Amino acid sequence: MRIARALFVSSFVASLALAASCVGTTGSGLVTFRATASGPSDFDAKQTFASGLGYAVTLTRAKLHVGAVYLNRSVPTSGAQATSCTLPGIYVAEVLDGLDVDVLDPTPQAFPVNGDGTADHASAGEVWLTGGDVTADDDATVILDLAGTASKGGATFPFEGKITIGKNRAVAPADPSQPGSNPMCKQRIVTPIPIDVVPKSGGELRLEIDPRAWFDNVDFARLDKASDTPLLYRFNDAAIEQPDTNLFRALRSASAETYRFRWLP
Amino acid sequence: MVRRGLRSVALGIALLVGTSHVAAQPDAEPVVVPPAVRTHVDAVYPTSALSGGQHADVTLLVTVDAHGRVTKVEVAQSGGPVLDEAAIVAVRQWTFAPATKGGNPIAARVRIPFHFAPPAPPAPDVAPAPGHAPQGTTVPPPGATQGVSAPSPISIDSHPPGPTIQQPEEVRIHGHAPPPSRGIGDFNMRIGALGAVPRANASEMLKLAPSILLTNDGGDGHAEQIFLRGFDAREGQDIELTVGGVPINEAGNLHGNGYADTHFIIPEVVTSLRVIEGPFDPHQGNFAVAGSADYELGLTKRGLTAKYTRGSFNTERILLTWGPKEESLHTFGAVELHRTDGYGQNRDSSRGSAIGQYEAQFGKRGSYRITTTAYSSTFHSAGVLRNDDYESGRFKFFDAYNPSAPLGGQTSRYSIAGDIETKAGDTLLKQQLFIISRGMRLTENFTGYLLDVQTPIQPLHGQRGDRLDLAVNETTIGARGSARWKTEAFGLPQELELGYFARGDAVTGTQYRIEEATQHPYRLNTDIEAKVGDLGLFADTSLRPLRWITVRGGARADLFSYDVLDKCAAQSVAHPSKTNPPGDTSCLSQQDFGKYREPVQRSTTASAAFMPRATVLFGPFKKITMSMSYGQGVRSIDPIYVSQDTKTPFARVDSYEAGVAYFGGTRDVELSVRSMVFQTKVERDLIFSETAGRNVLGGGTTRTGWIGAMRATGTFFDQSASLTTVRSTFDDTHLLVPYVPDLVMRSDTALFHDMPFKLAGQRVRGVLGAGITYVGHRALPYGQRSDTIFTVDSSASLGWDVFELGVAATNLLGRRYRLGEYNYASDFHTESQATLVPSRHFSAGAPRAFFVSLSATLGGP
Repeated sequence: MRIARALFVSSFVASLALAASCVGTTGSGLVTFRATASGPSDFDAKQTFASGLGYAVTLTRAKLHVGAVYLNRSVPTSGAQATSCTLPGIYVAEVLDGLDVDVLDPTPQAFPVNGDGTADHASAGEVWLTGGDVTADDDATVILDLAGTASKGGATFPFEGKITIGKNRAVAPADPSQPGSNPMCKQRIVTPIPIDVVPKSGGELRLEIDPRAWFDNVDFARLDKASDTPLLYRFNDAAIEQPDTNLFRALRSASAETYRFRWLP
Repeated sequence: MVRRGLRSVALGIALLVGTSHVAAQPDAEPVVVPPAVRTHVDAVYPTSALSGGQHADVTLLVTVDAHGRVTKVEVAQSGGPVLDEAAIVAVRQWTFAPATKGGNPIAARVRIPFHFAPPAPPAPDVAPAPGHAPQGTTVPPPGATQGVSAPSPISIDSHPPGPTIQQPEEVRIHGHAPPPSRGIGDFNMRIGALGAVPRANASEMLKLAPSILLTNDGGDGHAEQIFLRGFDAREGQDIELTVGGVPINEAGNLHGNGYADTHFIIPEVVTSLRVIEGPFDPHQGNFAVAGSADYELGLTKRGLTAKYTRGSFNTERILLTWGPKEESLHTFGAVELHRTDGYGQNRDSSRGSAIGQYEAQFGKRGSYRITTTAYSSTFHSAGVLRNDDYESGRFKFFDAYNPSAPLGGQTSRYSIAGDIETKAGDTLLKQQLFIISRGMRLTENFTGYLLDVQTPIQPLHGQRGDRLDLAVNETTIGARGSARWKTEAFGLPQELELGYFARGDAVTGTQYRIEEATQHPYRLNTDIEAKVGDLGLFADTSLRPLRWITVRGGARADLFSYDVLDKCAAQSVAHPSKTNPPGDTSCLSQQDFGKYREPVQRSTTASAAFMPRATVLFGPFKKITMSMSYGQGVRSIDPIYVSQDTKTPFARVDSYEAGVAYFGGTRDVELSVRSMVFQTKVERDLIFSETAGRNVLGGGTTRTGWIGAMRATGTFFDQSASLTTVRSTFDDTHLLVPYVPDLVMRSDTALFHDMPFKLAGQRVRGVLGAGITYVGHRALPYGQRSDTIFTVDSSASLGWDVFELGVAATNLLGRRYRLGEYNYASDFHTESQATLVPSRHFSAGAPRAFFVSLSATLGGP
């Protein structure tokens, strides 16, 4: 009987201990955070900068449509990224609603919705330049709307451009045995953008977009002239001519010179 | 018949106490306590005998099992066929507190005499106190109050009341012997009056055992997901389920190795349920990782019963049962048809089930049983819903994502089984054979449009949808047998059992991905044929070196063999032929640069597992028994993970348990109280993968917990309650295992009594039932916790003459709760861009529902 009573007591104590210990976590956490985008803090409208080809460029309008932002656990390997735009299981955070970012404005512009994610380390970011389904064959959304003037050697090239990413950017597969090697989504996703952050609830993810590097290899002299009076050159929104091709290539470059993520607690 | 004919007069009870079927605990003091009559029904003087006006005595030999049920009635002294029949009909309705030996319930045979005397109106409306009714007392005329209706613990007679113990001798039980207990965590539960608690299906009977939570995201015909003692046993992968010893788990099922669908079992024909919460019994086989559950089939309501139920959501159910009253309770037939529109969207279902069982005497000391089942079900499922879609108002709580193309499936199961149990000398021999044919089709989509990754060799495509269309066909043939030898040493009974289990499964399984827009399959994920074998041998002992100590256990060894033909083994090629590219083909017949290969791959392998299991029982000391148990269990590998000649990596479990229990009560109340602590370590656990739509192998885990349980059964009530707390963690990170509940409370209550009024001169019996479930905040991935679950189900019924009218309410409080909750990534195209980070999903629990049923029983006792 004494043993029985002892066992009863021990079970009771064990139950209390276990009830108290029924706490803990599965690790990580779900987080919600504010998301903003801006132009670079050291640059604003009408500031002239020099391009890689020696042009002095002044932007009067530069708006980039960001369809969505994602953060990844790891930097995708070349092999994995070669085949797929989205890889299940690697995403840490997302900001889903689009925003037209005035990249000439250094003040933060809030995305329409908060970002969601998990409290896991992110080491790469993605900027989706799309107005709809990232895998759609075509998309008429103006992704980049820009205007400005480029000067070189006494010549001046007032320019404007509206860049879309649709069929005009389709890339035929080089290898006929791999027809799926260049899906449209790959033309719309800028990745991997370096980042080193663990998202936390209440923080802010800031995407800083610097437009200067877009024009590094653009030869403005080869732009198509749109009109003489007033003089105006125009990007033709097709991957044919050097200026348009190089602008689009720079737009999609995940270089830290162009796209920078910052985490603000 | 004259309904108010003569009261029966039991002249006394003579006991023949058995020694061969100790049901639960070892007995230190061989004091035999005879069965006590808990409820009794008077025999009715047959109309056909009235003209003769005869007085007669009938003596019956009644076998009362360890649960207090009448299992066999024999005529020892005949009063003529008509009066014999009247006595048998009456005694079959009696219930007993079982006989005990050393405090343990045992099966026993009692001698019950009846005295019949013709009615002699007028009769006094009295209810004589037990033991004070004069022999041959007449009964009131029609319309008068029944003379004796109160349950009597003994007899009503001028003879000295109460049982008298005769010379103990071995009881002859024609039926299956109850299994020996494996410790405090061995719950051998009689359903009894708790059958009044509303239960949608036989799976919900599992809730009578502690710590069990059932969820279902797949629809009415989809097996319930079982959580037990901190395990996510999914749909049977970690719990061995059997019905009368016949396996329910499906080895090699593509949806989950060990998938177990119990919906073919008609709840009304389940008489008892044995749940062992751990691998402590050498009889337990594959999948007994968290434990095992065995349904015992029988029909206590004899005669032909027709029952019709109608209720919320256009639910209709027709049930027919038939149990010849002169046959064993285990002889019956039952048919069930059920249909419902279901709550919310896409939850309709239809099912039909038929079970037939025949049990009879085999020789002088044995019995045999043949059981057949047939079951078919078609059902739809709403699947899961993202919480952000519900919170934003895009979808309502009970909505589904694609109402026009519902998820769901179709299942069927047909089986025949036969078993023989007999004694040869001191040896109890058992042999069982079974054949099962099972088919299942299932469509599920946990992730929406997420997994259709573009590969280079495929033509360009967007996300076509992640819907899975899975089909499995399985044929199982198997047998089990054992010989249990009983002898005596040190003046105490000792037992040794040797047995085997053999099972072969032929399985085919396919799993396609379906394009959501067109419902056309666009990719074949799996096409597999497997032959899975399981040959197990075990030795089990029950040794009693001292009166107060019993050591039970032994060891089991299982050899699992696999012959797997993967007909879609090659699904990618790094360097496809430029001149003959494979395109969008699922199963490739091309290696690098066009080199030909067949897409198939055959793999064969085998491995053996050795599992020691033991339980030490101490006592009982003044009705208190203590036990300590240890056991190893095993879950065989899923055939899709089998590779050539590689030893199959079993998931091994080590389980420990210690507990104390009280089995006793008063003359009118049977009481059991249990308290136990346990720890279970699993080498490779199964963790839910939303991408695979099933559990996949994860790392090692450990569970530590405590269970408290009680059951009290009285003359007008039956109460069962349990509380479980458990902590489940991964061994490497010590983080919590997601999804498993760490706090489960359950209460089942039944109240039954005659109403204080009569209808047309006949008694009206009232029954109330209630089941209460509380589940604490479950751990979810990403540090989250689920909502709690609190539901109350209740029922009320009135029985009069051959009729019974019942009402039932499930989720009586109308609580809106989430039965299942998950955190993972999905994209159901409800946002402007792809949703790729983990988010909360849930499957809605059933809302409040009401059901009305009417039944009639003809030819019953």
